[in-house]
Amino acid sequence: MTITRKALHRRSFLRGMGAAIGLPFLDAMVPAMAMGQARPRKPALRMAFAYVPNGIIMNQWNPGYEGKLGELPRILKAMEPHRDDILMLGNLTHNTGRALLDGAGDHGRCSGSYLTGIQVKKTTVDIRAGVSCDQIVAKHLADQTRFPSLELGMEDARQAGDCDSGYSCAYTNNLAWKSETQPLPPILDPRALFERLFGNGVILSPETRMRQADYRRSILDFVGEDTLKLEATLGPTDRRKLDEYLSSIREVERQIEHAEKTNAQIDPHMEKPYGVPADFAEHFKLMTDMITIAFQADLTRVVTFLITREGTSRPYRELGISDGHHPCTHHENKPELIEKVTEINTYHATQMAGWVEKLKSTREGDFRLLDGMMMVYGAGLSDGNRHLHEDLPTLMIGNAGGAIKTGRRLVYRKETPMCNLHLAMMERMGVHMEHFGDATGELSLADLA
Amino acid sequence: MQFQEPVKPPVGIAFDSDLGNGVDAALALALLYGLEGKGEARLVSNSTTVSNLKSAAFGDVLARFYAGPPPASGAFGGFQRPVPPIGMAGDGNLAGDNSVLKAVLEKKTAEGTPVYPHGINKLNDTADAVALIRNAMTAQQDQNCLVVLAGPATNLVRVMDLPGVLDLVKRKVKLLALAAGSYRDGRVDPRVKADVAAAKRLLAEWPTPIVAVGTEVGDGLPFPGSSIEKDFAWAPAHPIVDAYRAFQTMPYDAPVPSMAAVLYAVRPDGYFKLSAPGTIGVLDDGRTRFTPAADGRHRYLVIDPAQKERVIQTYTELVSAKPVARQNPRFHNDQKKDTALTPPVPVKKQ
Repeated sequence: MTITRKALHRRSFLRGMGAAIGLPFLDAMVPAMAMGQARPRKPALRMAFAYVPNGIIMNQWNPGYEGKLGELPRILKAMEPHRDDILMLGNLTHNTGRALLDGAGDHGRCSGSYLTGIQVKKTTVDIRAGVSCDQIVAKHLADQTRFPSLELGMEDARQAGDCDSGYSCAYTNNLAWKSETQPLPPILDPRALFERLFGNGVILSPETRMRQADYRRSILDFVGEDTLKLEATLGPTDRRKLDEYLSSIREVERQIEHAEKTNAQIDPHMEKPYGVPADFAEHFKLMTDMITIAFQADLTRVVTFLITREGTSRPYRELGISDGHHPCTHHENKPELIEKVTEINTYHATQMAGWVEKLKSTREGDFRLLDGMMMVYGAGLSDGNRHLHEDLPTLMIGNAGGAIKTGRRLVYRKETPMCNLHLAMMERMGVHMEHFGDATGELSLADLA
Repeated sequence: MQFQEPVKPPVGIAFDSDLGNGVDAALALALLYGLEGKGEARLVSNSTTVSNLKSAAFGDVLARFYAGPPPASGAFGGFQRPVPPIGMAGDGNLAGDNSVLKAVLEKKTAEGTPVYPHGINKLNDTADAVALIRNAMTAQQDQNCLVVLAGPATNLVRVMDLPGVLDLVKRKVKLLALAAGSYRDGRVDPRVKADVAAAKRLLAEWPTPIVAVGTEVGDGLPFPGSSIEKDFAWAPAHPIVDAYRAFQTMPYDAPVPSMAAVLYAVRPDGYFKLSAPGTIGVLDDGRTRFTPAADGRHRYLVIDPAQKERVIQTYTELVSAKPVARQNPRFHNDQKKDTALTPPVPVKKQ
């Protein structure tokens, strides 16, 4: 048998002036002689952390049972359609988030230690944490994708100043740490993320962008020639896949442009980047749509997403909550404040559920994109009122290619370090570490599988 | 920004024992709660080497019983002290029940409800003892932590195996008070015999001074059964009394080396004498052997005949004292209101 055509490389790009668009998995990427034989038997593994701040109303998060997931509590209600794809983990603890003689500042500490497992230095000047587990994996996979990792957020990119009782904003506003002194600030602006993923990384001023918009319809125009060339070599199924994929990019671009135009009309002098939608849910969807595309094109396998920052006092007027999130969490058991926090927690989880749906419906070869995922949705505090660092709300989404048995709630013994989970996740991503943070051992995959 | 260390709190005690195997460890724990009530110590971790949920449940019963009423005022005014987690050695090899555990945990009221409620019904109601002990140490000021071991060394050597723990112990822990071994009569202590390998490692590698309390001290300074008959009458039901009565036929005086270990650890002066320094070794059959050495880090406790009555009186007074309100030691000096939580500012252009 002769090979009739050369397979398209998995990491091919559609290129044009200032643009490079990765491709989704296509049949054309499988050698012709091997169709049906050498298609990937397992999905590509991807690790992500999505973080929400200020703790959770735990009695509305934890179901009153262990084992197979059934009805989910109010906060996670929107996750019910996805319960076969989630694993709830209980009793994981971040001891290094506790005061440990450093006094007040639980918000700064818990986010600083969340992925580093380190008791961060209480300072606003000479910050010191540790290399975060996502970055250890990112370094290991660096040569396999265009971006070793992506760091995203939605709120506050300040890297200096005091954000909590003497803790630098670097601790509250970053999850990923490349070294013990170098956090990786998250991208907040959808436009910046878009340009990072598909453009040349240059962020134009809103005015310049508006001028360009007069003659440029889409980034897809820049890669039009490459697209036509590629389409000519593809079968009908691949052409449809490519078309759907490019349409999803165009849709994201259109939403960003819409946000930019709307924002410029509302307040031409606003400090926020023009591409940030005023609506939280819209912003969330834009960011997660782009992460999904990034996964689909295999641009990265490691993502951290700081949904909002620890200690945030963001109000949620879209929910009718004009009080800040953080003040509400110190509810002192007042029912009306507990209700507000529950609503905020539910709102966040509902946005996550929408993203999970997207990951489920997006195909990568024979698999759902979600199948290769190992995404933790969680927080560095459980009870935000009392600043507790035990029984952290931790939801594992995806089964890491079948390594994790989802659809259950697993409760570990008290004080089980969160770093034990990090060790297990790193191991699954191909990085064997003897020690990490304050781990006492890897959460055994027998527990997870 | 330089952060000022908080005022030194009372010494923190990490207590690891074979709770429920007899009454020695239970009485020692009760003594510790008594000292805590007087503000002389803080129980920062409580773990059992007995791989039996009932042992942990017994610890939980004692923690709830001695927690006392909620503080009337202060930061925790009106709030019941949270029940701290109980660590348990969890190798899946559950030890059997015994009369002490049954007497306390199965005692029912006339209505059929437990006399001593507890919250430990399954493995994940307990804490991972190794993490619990290590974590408790991390929260103590330097040289302001004591470890009292009143059981086999199983848990402690596992703690020692964690990365960085030997340095942590060296920094935080002033002393290990070890209620194990025999130093005068050559007997085999069941606590050593239960895990000879762990005892050997502990004595060879533990990085702080060790004061051992031998069976001879326990025998020479027993807890008087007469106290059980009269000093606890204020309580309609008392778990220590029920445990004591169930362990052996009354009346008897229980050998309590662990109580001596706790009392020495918290009140090192005036109650006991110490041997010269040396090194304690463990033989394969579980016997302990003390070899004097000027630079040795080990000593063993010696009864001071002149203090015998005073020691026993201290035991009975503290163990039978009514529980008093206190704050959660974990929160001591830690729980402060957030400051400088700044309001959000508009995100800057990247």
